[in-house]
Amino acid sequence: MIFGNTSRTVGIGCVILILITCIVHNRCERPVPHTGFKIVSLSPAMTENIFALGAAQDLVGVTTFCDYPEEAKKIYKIGDFSNPSLERIVGLKPDLVIVNLPEQTRIKKELEKLDINIFISSPQTLDDIYNEIIAIGRIVKKQQAADSLVNYMKMHISRVDKPVRPAVEGSSKKRVYIELSPRPLVTIGAPSFLNELLEMAGAENIFADLGKDYPVVPQEEVIKRNPDVIIVLHPEDIRDRLGWRTITAISNNEVYTTLNQDHLMRPGPRLIIGFEQLKRIMDE
Amino acid sequence: MSKYILISLVFLVAVFLSIIIGPAELTTDILQLRISRVILGVFAGGILAFCGGILQGLFGNPLVEPYTLGSASGAALGGSVGMLLFGTISPLFAFLGALGVGFFVFTIARIEGGLLRDRLILAGVVMSFLCSSLVMVIMVLGGRELYEILYLLMGYLGVVITSANRAMIIAMIVVSGILLIYLYRYYRELDIISQGMETAAGLGIDIQKLSVIIFLTTALLIGITVSIVGAIGFVGLIVPHISKLIFGPKHLKNLPGSFLLGATFLLLADTIARVITVYELPVGVVTSLVGVPFFIYLYRKK
Repeated sequence: MIFGNTSRTVGIGCVILILITCIVHNRCERPVPHTGFKIVSLSPAMTENIFALGAAQDLVGVTTFCDYPEEAKKIYKIGDFSNPSLERIVGLKPDLVIVNLPEQTRIKKELEKLDINIFISSPQTLDDIYNEIIAIGRIVKKQQAADSLVNYMKMHISRVDKPVRPAVEGSSKKRVYIELSPRPLVTIGAPSFLNELLEMAGAENIFADLGKDYPVVPQEEVIKRNPDVIIVLHPEDIRDRLGWRTITAISNNEVYTTLNQDHLMRPGPRLIIGFEQLKRIMDE
Repeated sequence: MSKYILISLVFLVAVFLSIIIGPAELTTDILQLRISRVILGVFAGGILAFCGGILQGLFGNPLVEPYTLGSASGAALGGSVGMLLFGTISPLFAFLGALGVGFFVFTIARIEGGLLRDRLILAGVVMSFLCSSLVMVIMVLGGRELYEILYLLMGYLGVVITSANRAMIIAMIVVSGILLIYLYRYYRELDIISQGMETAAGLGIDIQKLSVIIFLTTALLIGITVSIVGAIGFVGLIVPHISKLIFGPKHLKNLPGSFLLGATFLLLADTIARVITVYELPVGVVTSLVGVPFFIYLYRKK
């Protein structure tokens, strides 16, 4: 025996590790060569916007969260929304990287160090969304398409003026609680475009006084604020929760569970669908 | 005995405070909600402190607790895995996590005829690190469940109770009660072990067997607790020390003392967590924010 027992084990271990590395390397998907303007989008909504503007050929890399439209799934993946791979992005030699703030602050700093052009997407209001569409439209040379997309969105997402009804408690606005997650309870606060969308649909967010975009709230606060309507954006049933029985929305059976989260949470063209659904709920 | 009456009074005051204090007006529904929260608080605080006390007694090490032994982190990891696979935190997965990590720690620390106490902590801390990394991996893979795992790691009592989980939670509390009584029966053996392993072995106590029993039972208890309210830190480490300061070294007295004090401490911490902001604050944040200064004060005074 030339080698001792321990060194043999270590040696075999190393060989196995090297083999695994080779196999993984071979399985690694490689980007398609691309000439022309190259964009990497780390924002699922901006991916949708670029598709809507007809500039999808500029997209060379997207995240695994970019699942709409269907063709977006076929674009080279550079990681997921919260953990994009710097190496994969840089490997694409992009002319522009779209980053989402505040979630992607870390990768933004890395990209800045490498002098890569960055487009920051961080919409908190509907106007922010429109401005971002116009700005990206200018970059991909689709100004006209961007203008008409924004006009189209503005036309469909317009403020509903509630007819003055003999209101019971001084206002005919429905008070809404939106639940994004059941454990813990996550809802929306004032600085979010969904809050604005709700107001435009003629409703009032019961947590509109909170200064965080996605606050975690206690059950007691929800019961105390007693919403007329509850919109659930996760698959769990909320109707038989302990202590929730007397909430107006539950006793009047105004709990809506069928809305698509992406239609309300992604700042892109599909907000129109979400807004229509919100309006329908408020009219009932 | 008078100490017990005093502590029980403090406990009742804590229960009373956590029922009457809160953002909403006290209606029947709110009352139900707060009572369920109090039950969860007593259950979690009591179990964590009791397990901490019994483990510290068994291993004769003031740093031993569900966290430093890796059980709590293992339970959190198991819970996260369950969440990734099935979308919910199942007690079974949390228990398996606690047990699995406990088993590893045990194997690492075991030597012929006994346990190396120092190695136990080292193994526990090492396994905790491993679990944390694995939980991070799951957070990356899961994405949307990020908040849920974060609250699982810090622990919170604002659990939503529905008909789907009510029966399970009640069953878990009953099982935990039985397990606590089962463990409490070993108070005499623990007293003897505290005075030295040799003495204990000389008196015919099967230390190895006892260690296995206590280790597995506490892993089960921690798995249950974490799966319901998350991994609330600090209670299991600090409360047993305070209990020993008050009730002395005899486990007959200081174990129930740990339970009562742990429950009281967690209820008060949760009341603060509920009132201090309009948001739901993880109670684990408050337990360390309040507990650390109190503990330092107590030990400086002593």
